[in-house]
Order: sequence, then C-alpha cells, then structure tokens
Amino acid sequence: MFNQYLGISPKSDLLLLQMLAARLHNRTFLHINSTREGGGVAEILQRMTPVLTELGIDARWEVIEGDSKFFDITKKIHNALQGTSEEITDTMWQYHFEINSKNAEKLNLEADAVLIHDPQPAPLIAFKKTGLWMWRCHIDVSNPQKEVCDYLMQYCEKYDATIFSVAKFAKAMAIDEFIVSPSIDPVSDKNRELTDEEITETLSKFQIPTDRPIVLQVSRFDRFKDPIGVIKAFRIVNKYNDCTLILAGSPATDDPEGEIVLNEVKEYAANDPDIYILLLPTFSDKDINALQRIATIILQKSLKEGFGLTVSESMWKGKPVIGGATGGIPLQIIHGVTGFLVHSVEGAAFRIRQLLNNPEMAKKIGENAREHVRKNFLITRQVRDYLSIWYTLENKGKSILEL
Amino acid sequence: MAEIIEPFEFKQCISILKSTGKKAKNLRELRDVIEAVSDECIFHHTYQYFIKGHVLEYTNDFAHWAGESLEERALSEHLSNIDPYDFKNINNLRNELLGVIDEYLKRFPEPREAMPGDEFCFNETMTLIFPVGIRAKNLAEFLTAIKYVETGSVYYHFYEARIRLGSGIDDFSRWIEDAFGKRELVELIRAIDPFMHSLEGIREHITEAVEEEVRKDMEVIDRCLTSI
Repeated sequence: MFNQYLGISPKSDLLLLQMLAARLHNRTFLHINSTREGGGVAEILQRMTPVLTELGIDARWEVIEGDSKFFDITKKIHNALQGTSEEITDTMWQYHFEINSKNAEKLNLEADAVLIHDPQPAPLIAFKKTGLWMWRCHIDVSNPQKEVCDYLMQYCEKYDATIFSVAKFAKAMAIDEFIVSPSIDPVSDKNRELTDEEITETLSKFQIPTDRPIVLQVSRFDRFKDPIGVIKAFRIVNKYNDCTLILAGSPATDDPEGEIVLNEVKEYAANDPDIYILLLPTFSDKDINALQRIATIILQKSLKEGFGLTVSESMWKGKPVIGGATGGIPLQIIHGVTGFLVHSVEGAAFRIRQLLNNPEMAKKIGENAREHVRKNFLITRQVRDYLSIWYTLENKGKSILEL
Repeated sequence: MAEIIEPFEFKQCISILKSTGKKAKNLRELRDVIEAVSDECIFHHTYQYFIKGHVLEYTNDFAHWAGESLEERALSEHLSNIDPYDFKNINNLRNELLGVIDEYLKRFPEPREAMPGDEFCFNETMTLIFPVGIRAKNLAEFLTAIKYVETGSVYYHFYEARIRLGSGIDDFSRWIEDAFGKRELVELIRAIDPFMHSLEGIREHITEAVEEEVRKDMEVIDRCLTSI
C-alpha cells in the first residue's frame, strides 16, 4: 500500500510518515466510526488502516453498531450541526448515550491513541480507559444549531484534543483544537490515471462528443450546488464559444429534494442538445474520473459548501477549476493561481470564456492546481497530520519538535 | 591536513494548524484579539505566511483578510508593508500591527464587517522539523541539492532560520560563509529580498548565484590547466 504513493505524494510527507511511525512503532492506534462503507470517512479509513499497519503501527478500525432509531437520531444531530432546525429531546440524547454504552461493552477501547470520528460515537469518551483520545469532526459545524452543538461539546471537551477540517469550524474550547484538511486518494478509482480505453468506454456509454470543449460540473442535484446557475453561465458562454456542458451527479437517496432539483434542472435545460445531464449510479467513481479527465474546464459553482473535495479531485487531474467562493473551496483554489473563485453567474461565465480563449493560461493553472493538491490534499498528508498530532500531544507543551 | 568542512544538512519543517478558537468579524475585534493572542499566533499569521509560497499581493494573513474580506485596500497595503524581519521580537511586531490598525481606525472609524462565515480565525501551529536525508559537502553538491529539495526545505533554511537563530540570517549564506568564506556569494544571497519572491523565486535566485560561483571556480581550474 505505502509503496503505491512513492513518486506521487511529496517525498517529505512519506519521509516524515516513516520517521513518525518509527517513533510510534508497535503502538496501538484505534479508529472508531459508525459505518464500514459508504461516505468519505469510511473511504479514508479503508485506505489509511493498512498503510498505518505497514508502517509498523498497530492500527485497528472498529465500527459502532446501532439500530435504525439510533441512526435516525444521529442523522438529526448531524443535520442540526450543519444548521438545519431539528429537535433533539433529552430522551434522544439518552438513547444516543445508551447505544454507545452498549458498544463500549463489546469493543476493546484500549489503545495508545484513539481517534473517534464524528458525532455518532462521540459519547464513547465516557468509557475511556487509557491513551490519548481525539475527536475528529468531519462535518461543517460553522453555523450549527446552538443547543445541539452545546450538548455535543460536553462530550468533546472531555477528549484530549479535537480535530476540525477548517479553522472556521473550530469552537472556543478549553482543549487543543487542530485543523486537518480532508484529502483525496490519488490511487483510488476516482483519482488514479486511466487508460485511453477506460476513458473511451465512458465516453461511448454516455455518447459524449469530444469535438468541442467540454465544461463539466460533478455534484449532487442540490440547490446549494447551483446547477441552474451553471446552465445560465453556460448559456452566456455559448453565445461566444461553441462548447458542451455536462452536469453529472448521483441520485442522493437520503435527499428527498434531489429529484425535485433534478427535474428543475432538466426543465431549465429544455432539451438543449449541448447540455448533457447525467444521472450516475452511486458507485460511478471510474466514470466520474473519466469525465473529469476529458473536461476542458470544471466548475464547482456552489453557493454553500462544506469542504468540496470534488474541487481537489478535478484539480488533481490538472484541470482549471472555477469554484464558488464558499466553504472550503477558497482553501483549494488560490484565485488566479490554481483556479478561479467566482461570486456570480456572470463571474463564472467570464472565467469560462477567459479559459476557453487562453489554452496556455488554462494549462498553466491546471498544472499549478495539480501541484497544489499534491502538496496539500493527498491522503498521505492527512495520515502524516494524524501521526504528527498524536506525537505532539505526547510531547505536550512544546510548539516545535525536532525529529 | 585539509580543513574539515561541516556538510550542509537539508532539513524541512511542517506545521500543523491549531485553532485558538478566537475570531474577529470586524477591524476593531481584529485589533483587540491581536493585542491579546499568544506570540505563536502572531508568528503564524505573519512569518509563516511565506510558507504558503503563492500570491505576493499580501505579505501576512491580516493584510490578506483586510484586503479580501473587509475590502479595506488601503489598510491591507499598510499591513502588507510591515516586514516581520525588521523586528527583534514578536511584541514589537504586534505593536506595529496595532499602530497601523489604530491609525486607520482614526481616519475611517466605521469600517465594514466581514460577511458571515468570512471572519478572521486566529490560529497557531505546532512545528515538526526533520532532516530530508540530503547533505552537501561542497558548493557543487549544494547546487544539485538546492535545485531538487522541496520548497518546504527552502522555507525552513531561508525564512524560518532568520527567527530560529535570532540573527536575521538564512542558513544557506551562513554555511557558505563559515565553510568557504565566499563573501561575494554570501552577500548576493543575503541581498535576495524575502518579501519580493515566492519560494520558487528564492530557489531560482540562490541557484543562479551559486551556479555562477561554481562556474567561476571551474574556470579557475580551466585557466590553470591552460597555463600548463
């Protein structure tokens, strides 16, 4: 596993990973989340655990179990933390704790370092036996429902440290709060290099012509991703430049609004032959990869965004990306250097035209984008950061450590 | 017996971001938090701006925020003009930042607020320093190495060294001075303005200067051979 990243990830990240692993050799590192598959957290853990093991760390990944009542409650907690109005009653919080309590009886919670992912298993801290415990928050908690956030923070403050994805998600807490950006895996199906045959397969599957430049947005059919705004921008561009627009997304089964938005988008596109609306099955990583690789310009014109890792995925393919200046997108796109940040339909249209008319500029921005992702948003950097945090917590009080 | 030259060991540092939990949504709040935060926090938002190695529109996070989020362009220009390496300690730098903001607030007492979600977040860092496994025993080896080390290593030796050793001098020129006494080359490297270049730009300038020196050294050998 580790060798797969040689020649891809920055050499210094791999070197530091090995040095930290040597210092933490044979120590136990336990990760706990609430699902074995599906979602970004499970995806990262599937990759990270074998890498840690290979580096000589005794890494374990456990998953808490719960019934549908438990997961209904945690879904509500999740939504409330992301700003949706939800009522979490005392009984619900009590049930949340009880299920964690039952899991604590079954799970071996003894480890030198324990990383608890997201709110579902957060109460496990009450059953801490040994080691350093860290709570990792993967969700956007910049504008949470206050009382839900306050309740959860009672658990979080018992940890040795918390880890957030973006600085603005961090809260005023009495414990260490680290910031670790999410990451993409360069060797996964979604991001690995594809053969010409694999790309052709996708193109013929969706019957996409390649005789004109392609503008692409990959995202769920969600109003916050502004698919209508993308079509509006495309229509402005199409008056000047002959090109094709692809809007590709998977149906979100847990989002009842998804279908409504998809229908709105279809209606707005009005059977325009230059617009391709692709509804992809849930596991379409290779097709998404191929679409990103054949695109000339990629958009992520979000109006609200958590981190927006699709931006890094596109940048990794050396594409110029135009993104809405929201959430984690400005952390990935340095305006004018690794892409363009926009605030309006007109802004997006202008940048598309600018890039279509300046292929050299598009190429340079694409190259900068890939390098920016290589240095900052690959999974090896995330693993490096976790080990660094563990190591620094063991050397508390020092802000500079020399290996 | 030939004098033993201490090889130059290339190192690198990485920083793990830590939130202080403090935020500012307008200039007055920014000012008040700057006055109260730790030295590490001021250090991160000023000196460590250069590790980002990108745009040269601004030279510290405060200027960046004033320009991009508050759209107070004149203030961002004033703040960008503050060279952290001019100060002997963080407190003097902190006072300069406060002075510039106070002066601006006197002239424009009601600056705009940042949009919700665009507040200034005060952070610190934990820094890990590690050797990258490259050593140079002479200038030719140094020249090869400086071309290939990562920019994080250039940052560590060119920027971070100025504070680490408290003398405002980078590691590269210090080693060249101590090991070879090449004053002209040392001065050339020290004349590179850290404010005016990206990390890649710094690398290019150092490479150019060292390459010229190595070429001159080789030509001396050439001339010796010709005279034989």
